[in-house]
Amino acid sequence: MDKSYLELVQVQKKNKIEGLYPTTKLWILLFFVIWIFILSTIKFTSIQLPLLNLVWIPVLLFMFYISGDFVKCIKACRVILTIAAIIFLAQAFIIPGDREVFRLAFLKVSDSGLKKGFELSTMVLSIAGAFVWVFQTTDNKEIGQALEESGVNYTVSYIFVSTLNMINVLSKNSQTIMNAQRARGVETQGNMIVRAKAFVPSFIPLVLSAITGAEERVLTLESRGFAVKCQKTRVLKLQKSGLEKPAMIVCVIITVLLIAGRVVLWM
Amino acid sequence: MDVIMECKNVNYQYPLTDTKQIENLNLTIERGKVYGVVGENGSGKTTLCAVLRGFAPSFYKGELTGEVLYDGKPLAEYGDEIATKIGFVFQNPFTQISGVKDTVFEEIAYGLENFGVPVEEIEQRVINVMKMTNVESLALKNPFLISGGQMQRVALASVIVLEPDVMIIDEPTSQLDPDGTESVFEIIKAMKEKKKTIILVEHKIDLIAEYADEVIVMKDAKVIACGPTKEILAKTELMQQGVNVPQAAILGQKLKEKGLDIEYIPVTEQDAVKVFENAGKAGK
Repeated sequence: MDKSYLELVQVQKKNKIEGLYPTTKLWILLFFVIWIFILSTIKFTSIQLPLLNLVWIPVLLFMFYISGDFVKCIKACRVILTIAAIIFLAQAFIIPGDREVFRLAFLKVSDSGLKKGFELSTMVLSIAGAFVWVFQTTDNKEIGQALEESGVNYTVSYIFVSTLNMINVLSKNSQTIMNAQRARGVETQGNMIVRAKAFVPSFIPLVLSAITGAEERVLTLESRGFAVKCQKTRVLKLQKSGLEKPAMIVCVIITVLLIAGRVVLWM
Repeated sequence: MDVIMECKNVNYQYPLTDTKQIENLNLTIERGKVYGVVGENGSGKTTLCAVLRGFAPSFYKGELTGEVLYDGKPLAEYGDEIATKIGFVFQNPFTQISGVKDTVFEEIAYGLENFGVPVEEIEQRVINVMKMTNVESLALKNPFLISGGQMQRVALASVIVLEPDVMIIDEPTSQLDPDGTESVFEIIKAMKEKKKTIILVEHKIDLIAEYADEVIVMKDAKVIACGPTKEILAKTELMQQGVNVPQAAILGQKLKEKGLDIEYIPVTEQDAVKVFENAGKAGK
């Protein structure tokens, strides 16, 4: 073996963007959300659509691409796209308004509905897309360790990382429970009502097993010195890619320009 | 007698319960021996483990009277340091994965990280333990994506790496297949060779007969018998107390009742072969 285990367990990065320090990525995420909110206040067309919300989609695609995780991020975005589409349709068809913009049989889209639907769905898409970028280019354990290194209590960082990791585990467990319930004759596939009925017998064992498992996990952590008060060491070494400072400067400049631009437009 | 742990008149009761789960416990644990704890379900085996590790009452709360001593000092005096003195392995391998590590190597290293051990030392100690527990081939795998038997070996490795003198192992094979069980007992054997003190709760009585030096029998929160394995497990009347005895002992007892003159009641397969061979040679 050429590399030692200490080298092998480090997180390998494809490039300097993907390798940005996790807290820098979280800062970029925060700036990104601020930019989205600033630009969403600028409205166009007669029904006041925040069309600039669409600007963030190519920006995000560019960020996915330069991080070297385009396919991975796009795959993760598929669910968000579905959610955004549902939000758009629900808002557009449900919210009543003064003017009818479009009609499909008995369904009608009003100006207010279209505005609200567009605003909400594009914002969800952009903000969730930014989260996807952070979490697809950063390992959970990197985020946890970066939080610890920035002074966050290790218990908080443990809760953060284990919660993220447990999502996959619980979804696997829920599948096992679903299969078990199916074997006992519980209908789990079919229309919404059938699925809703299957929810209770599947959800309760999942939650109960998670609760009972939590007690043993606490004792396991106790057995491994989790609560020991001392300077803890970490096998994982977080490296800075070198682009952290320039990235932050660019973010600050963009923020200042956007705020200034918005103020000028107000005046 | 080199005593490492001692319980003096220990009584323990979980909160919000009316009955004691440990009653009048007086126990002496000798350094370097393997103790098998047996008894029917609900007899207090797991509670005994929790008391010996200090989880009861520190974690479970409840009321504990009497003294639990490690190297002559009460457990409470050790504080968090007790984790390096007494290791604990549970029956469910899944809940023993920390949930914050991506690789088996990091999972095993986690305890050492928590104690602030230098990284270079961590690497060496983890490698040694991975070899001992036969998990080196899994070093870079996700601990959640390995089999139950492998997970239990990782859980054992994660505790062994802290080099505790005493290991409390509560039904480590209850959720494992025969291969997984065998691999766990290989580790217990290796620990025994290293003169570690092991307190092992296990229902597979034939394995207890093979590996344990002493057996502690529990019933209704009390220790009803304690002593050398060959002596205790040869008593087939224990079956009336809800305790299994080894197949070899049952066979020996039945043959003895039929008139076969054997030196003693065997408790392991090897013993049985020897005893019946001798009886055969003597034409008894």
